[in-house]
Amino acid sequence: MANSELKKEIAGALQNNVLRGALERFSHLYVIAREKAYQGYDFEALRNKVQEIKSYSASHIDEMIDLFEKNATARGAKVFRAANGKEANDYIKKLAQEKNVKKIVKSKSMASEEIHLNEALRADGVEVQETDLGEFIIAIEGKHPSHMVFPAIHLTKEQVADLFTSYTNKKNDPIISKLVKTARSVMRKKFIEADMGISGANIAVAETGTLFMFTNEGNADLTATIPKTHVYVVGIEKLIPKFKDASYILKTLPRNGTAQNITTYVSLYTGATEAYLENGMKGTKDFHIVILDNGRRNILKDEKFRQMFNCVRCGGCINVCPAFQLVGGHVYGGKAYTGGIGTLLTAFLDSEETAGKVQNLCLQCGKCTEVCVGKLQIPEMILELRNRHGQKTGLPFTQKFALDVVSNRRLFHTMLRVASVAQKPFTRGKQVIRHLPMFLSGLTEGRSLPAVAEKPFRDIFPTIEQDVKNPKGTVAIYAGCLLDFVYPRIGEGVVAALNEVGYKVVFPENQSCCGAPATYMGDRENAVKSAILNIQGLEAEKVDYVVSACPTCTHALKEYKELLHDNPEMLKRAEELANKLYDFSKLVTILGGLENKGDGIPLKVTYHDSCHLRRKMGVYQEQRDLLSNTSGIELIEMNESDRCCGFAGSYSIKFPEISVPILERKLRNIADTGAEVVAVDCPGCLMQISGGLDQKDSSKIKVKHTAELLLDKRKKK
Amino acid sequence: MERINQLYDKFKGKFEGVNGECFRVAKSEEIGDLLINILGAKGSKTISLYESPISQSARLREKLTEAGFIVHTDDLFTNTCTDHVGITEVNWGIAELGTMVQIAPEVDKRLCSTLVPIHVALLKTDSILPEMDDVLEKLDSLPQIPGFVGFVTGPSRSSDIERILEIGVHGPEQVILIVTDQ
Ligand code: SF4
Repeated sequence: MANSELKKEIAGALQNNVLRGALERFSHLYVIAREKAYQGYDFEALRNKVQEIKSYSASHIDEMIDLFEKNATARGAKVFRAANGKEANDYIKKLAQEKNVKKIVKSKSMASEEIHLNEALRADGVEVQETDLGEFIIAIEGKHPSHMVFPAIHLTKEQVADLFTSYTNKKNDPIISKLVKTARSVMRKKFIEADMGISGANIAVAETGTLFMFTNEGNADLTATIPKTHVYVVGIEKLIPKFKDASYILKTLPRNGTAQNITTYVSLYTGATEAYLENGMKGTKDFHIVILDNGRRNILKDEKFRQMFNCVRCGGCINVCPAFQLVGGHVYGGKAYTGGIGTLLTAFLDSEETAGKVQNLCLQCGKCTEVCVGKLQIPEMILELRNRHGQKTGLPFTQKFALDVVSNRRLFHTMLRVASVAQKPFTRGKQVIRHLPMFLSGLTEGRSLPAVAEKPFRDIFPTIEQDVKNPKGTVAIYAGCLLDFVYPRIGEGVVAALNEVGYKVVFPENQSCCGAPATYMGDRENAVKSAILNIQGLEAEKVDYVVSACPTCTHALKEYKELLHDNPEMLKRAEELANKLYDFSKLVTILGGLENKGDGIPLKVTYHDSCHLRRKMGVYQEQRDLLSNTSGIELIEMNESDRCCGFAGSYSIKFPEISVPILERKLRNIADTGAEVVAVDCPGCLMQISGGLDQKDSSKIKVKHTAELLLDKRKKK
Repeated sequence: MERINQLYDKFKGKFEGVNGECFRVAKSEEIGDLLINILGAKGSKTISLYESPISQSARLREKLTEAGFIVHTDDLFTNTCTDHVGITEVNWGIAELGTMVQIAPEVDKRLCSTLVPIHVALLKTDSILPEMDDVLEKLDSLPQIPGFVGFVTGPSRSSDIERILEIGVHGPEQVILIVTDQ
């Protein structure tokens, strides 16, 4: 998929109000319903178990397959191992020919979707019927699923009625209960006439040869009960060692996918059972299981991606993904798999090229990692994908240029200083501009961007009076580009707070961009350059702590260890830096916190959690305590405080059309609190949210970094 | 008995929460009359019956036939395609979920539970177990896992159109469970 096509798909999806409405409503309901479904269950303990079981299978995959084959065969199943989609399709096609199969019913199987089995069979003139309601609908429509669990979520009942009218040649009214009845009556005939059934499985138990299916509509059981020949297509990642291990997946998959305690049907098939054969005679069903590899072993071989094996395909990650909620599944280009996990699966099982494009849709907000049953680090894997893609194909010229500039301290800083002068005509006297110079230009729809400060923090720093008697130690401040050149006042706040807890602050002159932009755009070379510059520049060896007021920078600096793992000397220094480095609120808290004081003037404040700070660093209480401990401040929690604001570094540059609606939802949540100030701990979030508020001219809400707000409310008058 | 009552109550609450209908009788002899009333009210006329210990001790075939229902006990593939009701016995209930568990390697039993619009399930009250793990444990301790085991939690459902929940898709549209103490 070319980039322009992706953009077109996105535009189309965003214009589809049905899809957006349905996905947005669901995203609200899902969170509440899921929580309710888990009441009385220890989700963390359950998912630890799932992870343990699935990773055991992954590291014993040959043993698992052998055992499964042996046990299923002993119970009358015919097991075929398919190395790729073609082998699987050929096996099933041959079987259909031998058995003179004319009509096939299918119940949902993503694996067969992945290998394009339907097309292969139809080419032989066999009728293949999807029986799952949603799949049936999109099959008539001629589209791919827009969601892993709700494939037809992009259509209205009116559209479904039209599709059914054309399919049945009878007028169908847009009444959901009636449409469901139409599907029921069409399908019953198909079930009864079918001479072969094809299904997928959710779990395959090595020790017993048992297959588990989780369904709601009842079509899977009819598919498996009526036809005299049945074929299961099962990916090797479905294997688990022991029968009783299924318990953990049973307890999590339905709760995560559809927020049900259990799906209506959980069906266990072990070997060949009884079926009706010719002329009403009963006998043993012809029962086949195709165990599919098709790229899965490559996942296992790849250390960085191995954990994908722990995925149970519940769809939970997609249900909470802010980007997916806006655009739905079609945009992801994969035939079977969508969302973040879908991107990864597509890369290995379908098309690397498609995955290389759609991985850009990931905001790196990490929300999925909170709900994932298999404990997958999806954002990190996507980043790795991005890196590899970047290395292979190179970045577009403007991006590459920008990153080269950023990782060259002198040049970058000079350009920023020039910008602070050159931008004057655009700022209209306000601290925001609608056009940023250089590489940041062209991204201002729905959001204003801040002006570059007249004087960067590095120039202000020497003028700050640090009144600390008998300092307890020294802290080096790492400013980062936004703080240094756009929001220097945050830096002043950081210094004031650290002084208050008894520490002196130094500003190491040779610090430079943290390298996060390069990392997130998949440019490892420039990321490594930044890492070395900063390790040398910050000289963590000389201070007690290093503080950063930007969680993205903090995270990037901590990750230098990864970037420099093959450079022993630098690695040691990177570790020292990582050990001494804290985010602002965390460090102030560690060093004893601030005593209760403040100007006492009432101020309603709400707090927005930065994705990095909350999920990567687990810091969310500290800053709330600091704020609450400042007299005058009344802290009011907003709905979805930890939902991504849509900034996500370069994301808002590449996909303003997605970033802006995500921001709008954040702005609504903020406005609902009635707060006068939104506090944040990340300059990126600050830029994004204040840019959005600025566009709404009516809005009087201010956005401030915690450090800056503390400075305002606590400084001696 | 106290414990059985508690488990039953919990089960019933959960089962009704997923649109199932649940009844309890003291003796299996009472099932016939109860069913005649329930099915009569629904206007059902034809029944596919998969005989089992409970249905036999309740003399369901005789009673339902006497009451005017057409009851089929063989040629069940043909009959379940058109009959209104299927009656089968299930092995366990799971109180925490309102789930019925049926061991059914026999094709007729499965057809009577799945192809008909109304599924009537019969269960012994003391076979209601607290948790899903209890059932997995029981299955695991059998000499081998049966060819088919179905966990059924209410009538079939789908939210595939506009995410609106609809009851009764391809599987049964109504599920009625009758639990008997004896
Ligand atoms: S990645 Fe995790 S949350 Fe997403 S489908 Fe797989 S198991 Fe579920």
